[in-house]
Amino acid sequence: MSSFNIIGKREPRVDALGKVTGAAKYADDYNLPHQLHGAVKYAEYPHAEILSIDTSEAEKVPGVEAVLTYKDVPGANHFGLIPNIRILADDHTRYLGDVVAVVAAVDRRTAQKAADLIKVKYRELLAVFDPEEALEENAPVIHEGGNEIVHHKVRKGDVAAGFEEADFIIEKTFKTQPIEHAYLEPEAALVYPDEHDGFTVIGCMQNFYTSHKVIAAALGLPLNKVQIIQSTMGGSFGGKDEAATLVAVRAALLAQKTGRPVKMLSTREDSIRQSYKRHAYKLYYKWGCKKDGTIAAMEIKAVADGGAYASMSPFVTWRSVVQATGPYYCPNVKTDVYAAYTNNNFTGAMRGFGSPQVNFAIESMMDELAERVGVSPLQIRLRNAFEDGAETATGQKLTHRVSLKEVLIKAAEASDFERKWREYRSEANRTKTFPKGIGLSCAYRGVSLGAEGVDAASAVVYVQPDGSVTVSAGIIDMGQGARTVMAQIVAEVLGIPLQRIHFLEPDSGRVADSGPTVASRGTIMGGGAAKIAAENVREIMKHTAAVVYSVSPAHLGFRDGKVWDDNGKSSRPLCTFEELTAACYARGKPLFASGVRHVAETNWDEETGQGNAYFTFVYGANVAEVQVDSATGQTELLNFVSVHDVGRAINKATVEGQIYGGVAMGAGYGMMEEFIQENGEAKTINFDEYYILTAMDVPKMKAVIVENPDEHGPFGAKSVGEPAVEMAAPAVTNAIYNATGRRVQNLPANLEEVRLGQKLRRNVQRASVACKIEPK
Amino acid sequence: MNYLRPKNLTELTRTLSDASAATQFVAGGTDVLVESRQPYFSKPQTLIDLSRVDELKSISETNGLIRIGAMATHSEIIAQPLIQRQAPLLAQACAEIGSQQIRNRGTLGGNICNASPCADTVPPLLALDAQVEVLNEQGLRRVAMQEFFVKPYQTVLQKNEVLTAVYFPPLPDGYGSAFYKLGRRKALAISRINMAAVLKTNHHGIIEEVRLAPGSVFPVWKRVAAAERFLTGKKITDQNFMQAGQITAQEMIKISGRRWSTPYKEPVVAALVKRVLLMAAGLEEQ
Ligand SMILES: Cc1cc2nc3c(=O)[nH]c(=O)nc-3n(C[C@H](O)[C@H](O)[C@H](O)COP(=O)(O)OP(=O)(O)OC[C@H]3O[C@@H](n4cnc5c(N)ncnc54)[C@H](O)[C@@H]3O)c2cc1C
Repeated sequence: MSSFNIIGKREPRVDALGKVTGAAKYADDYNLPHQLHGAVKYAEYPHAEILSIDTSEAEKVPGVEAVLTYKDVPGANHFGLIPNIRILADDHTRYLGDVVAVVAAVDRRTAQKAADLIKVKYRELLAVFDPEEALEENAPVIHEGGNEIVHHKVRKGDVAAGFEEADFIIEKTFKTQPIEHAYLEPEAALVYPDEHDGFTVIGCMQNFYTSHKVIAAALGLPLNKVQIIQSTMGGSFGGKDEAATLVAVRAALLAQKTGRPVKMLSTREDSIRQSYKRHAYKLYYKWGCKKDGTIAAMEIKAVADGGAYASMSPFVTWRSVVQATGPYYCPNVKTDVYAAYTNNNFTGAMRGFGSPQVNFAIESMMDELAERVGVSPLQIRLRNAFEDGAETATGQKLTHRVSLKEVLIKAAEASDFERKWREYRSEANRTKTFPKGIGLSCAYRGVSLGAEGVDAASAVVYVQPDGSVTVSAGIIDMGQGARTVMAQIVAEVLGIPLQRIHFLEPDSGRVADSGPTVASRGTIMGGGAAKIAAENVREIMKHTAAVVYSVSPAHLGFRDGKVWDDNGKSSRPLCTFEELTAACYARGKPLFASGVRHVAETNWDEETGQGNAYFTFVYGANVAEVQVDSATGQTELLNFVSVHDVGRAINKATVEGQIYGGVAMGAGYGMMEEFIQENGEAKTINFDEYYILTAMDVPKMKAVIVENPDEHGPFGAKSVGEPAVEMAAPAVTNAIYNATGRRVQNLPANLEEVRLGQKLRRNVQRASVACKIEPK
Repeated sequence: MNYLRPKNLTELTRTLSDASAATQFVAGGTDVLVESRQPYFSKPQTLIDLSRVDELKSISETNGLIRIGAMATHSEIIAQPLIQRQAPLLAQACAEIGSQQIRNRGTLGGNICNASPCADTVPPLLALDAQVEVLNEQGLRRVAMQEFFVKPYQTVLQKNEVLTAVYFPPLPDGYGSAFYKLGRRKALAISRINMAAVLKTNHHGIIEEVRLAPGSVFPVWKRVAAAERFLTGKKITDQNFMQAGQITAQEMIKISGRRWSTPYKEPVVAALVKRVLLMAAGLEEQ
């Protein structure tokens, strides 16, 4: 049906060979002569005033070249969206992953030994570990101005009138847990002074434009004196933003102090202790519903644990507030989402970014509604689902193709949902020791950053004199396949084979600030920029060809490595791509062009929560089939169907890869993942205790790709990275309900939760004095 | 730090004379190496690497007893037809340990000597009435599995003693057996609870002999004598098996008291006793 050459093909990853042969170089694979190694001194209290730091013993250790505290930071020691993350703790410690001092020494062991000799005097302060307690009046204050990081609202219609009108009310409370990104490669960076009074940073930063600014500001240097080179990344999932910046900037400070290359590396334990997590949410949902299954009012409150620093909390919770009502019609909405500081690990960006939490609540509520009305989970969703032209809770009219019903029906068909759902809810099944269950979920998601931030991306395409092509982009590949997808887009535009294209490592000096590679914006924004850059190069080539061959540039086509005159009825090849390239250079026309992708307007009113939040949305549906061991609560995933409208699949294999990985990650969130802290102390600091699904636990998966091209995306492409993960958990818990008749309201659905309906915790004395506050 | 790698049993015996509290044996190293990174780990002065002592590796049957050398890996045990036939529950337990890589390196001796309350090979060995063979300068001695463990992570082995082999009688014809492991996922998960059973019934379905060994249930490894007594002479029924389970759960609470994990463990231990007994009896759980 399509007339594409490479778009839509299952092209192998352009970086696959290097990864399987070991040629790919990750941050820790870079080393330099005379390099020093860094180590950190951690905070010893989750909340304390720092009275003094004595580094004298550490400095005496032979082999130690530098010991730095906040006093030694020449520039800005703070950064962040709300700039309260400290590179080195100054007046206070706010969580146990705070770093009070850093050491550089000839080897890692010496550096660590010295760090252990640093003596810090503290005055311990009351700590608070629960975000709702943190918002109480008498709670210990973690940052000046109070513990409320943000409060987002959506107001639509009149909820009181809506509840009045309702036939019945469903009210439930849900809890989600903090989780670790669990990227394979822990944070690492190598920083070295260069010949021009500047510094080069090689590292694995997901958002290297931000790292660039933070490092330059900390060193007190202009941006052009700091060069960031992005190494091959071993995963990130949103996790290598501030967490990786912290590792890199500490290395940079030590490199500046010593004048030598410094390697800073987190072990897995360091990584889990320091890095931010996905926000834990407490969610209060109240729906006023009608007998026909429609929803008259939704009142929602959610409180997110922001941990010690603001990080991305304002944006994460903003996506939550926009999407909290799901892709369902409801005339009356009142939503309040809060984020609060606590003395837990700070929380920030993670694949999903505020949607997995609300999706768990929404999709559990939807199944409850189905149960009350006496229809199937599919029927209730079809009854309430957005259609073309629908107006969202924020008052946005959807002008793209709204494919929610299409993905729901496809998911149900691919899984034989209706029949199995009926069979499994029978007494005969539910009373078995091993009942089966099937669960459905769906979601919509605003693409890219939306009204939360400035949204533009750049790329540069350079056709070299021999006709080979290099592409540079500001969007990075952390394993999701961005290089392959962008190379395919360029290959399609220029009509040449993929093998002719080489993707350069992202470099802060090469491409203009493209913002972060987050929010599933890699293809739509980065790919969009690459397409424009390639088209700009092609324009130059067309004009030269028009002159050389006396044809109209409007009739020129680029296919199969050739340039064609597609004039009228006939097509005739004029020359090869290489010949035209040579002709361009011979006439003084270098083939080098950049492309910048901007997005359509979005807008937002903070007070009412009304506006066009995102320029377009994607739609997906998941079905999980499980078998529950009613004796132990163990849940086995049998089958999984995941359907996504991606606009256009630039590479079907890469899209499927995103879907499979997303299911594994999302189901793990549903069933076992949990970052456990006791009084702020991280307990699950390696993968023997922090459980993620193994290959043995991953079910049989079926990925179904739906394509409704969108005017905003390159060749119609939208996104899939986060949609793939964000609705898996409620599909699993809805399946558990189908099997057992009991609803899981607290994630994860681990052994105890499924067997007993509660979590069990080792008895620890709570250090939080805030818990003594009388509840109002 | 000294590193010794004896090449045979004689050399090993010689190294034992100098062994002290600061001596550490290394078999596959899958426990030792992980522990060596823990803050509480006290660095040994001497490491004795057992990997070159061939006498510790063989699996054989002599004088009516199966002998498994302490250095046999889990993978080697799983692959042995002798074990698959005569002690299938042990092969099942080894097959559920860690992952392929761990099973290729980890040894039976290491699993026993590490004495973790959730070690997966211990319940089958208890149910098989195994004995362990211990070597010191004086020579060899045998200790019954039941007497081998002192407390979690501690055995009766002295500093200058090494485990050389495990012995047990093959399961006679007509004996059913089973192993069941409950973990938080399907691979690379330590046992939350594990359970082994050996069961002999006559043709009227009356239990003549039963051995029941749960893991992660008691602080010190042992079989559940009370449940075994209850079952002997009774019919194999769901109800009897369930009652044996409740006896086991009560025994657990009697010994360890009610703890944070009891609300879960109490019903689940009972259910798993029933499950492992049904499996040993070759019956389906409904
Ligand atoms: C990722 C991972 C997963 C695991 N999963 C499981 C699991 O599912 N189930 C399970 O039961 N275990 C598991 N383990 C633990 C471990 O792999 C097993 O206990 C294994 O059998 C230990 O054997 P080893 O040879 O590696 O022992 P080592 O680590 O070499 O030794 C363990 C201890 O025993 C002592 N020792 C070893 N051999 C002798 C001997 N012959 N005489 C005297 N002392 C001796 C050592 O000094 C040490 O104290 C896992 C470990 C890891 C790292």
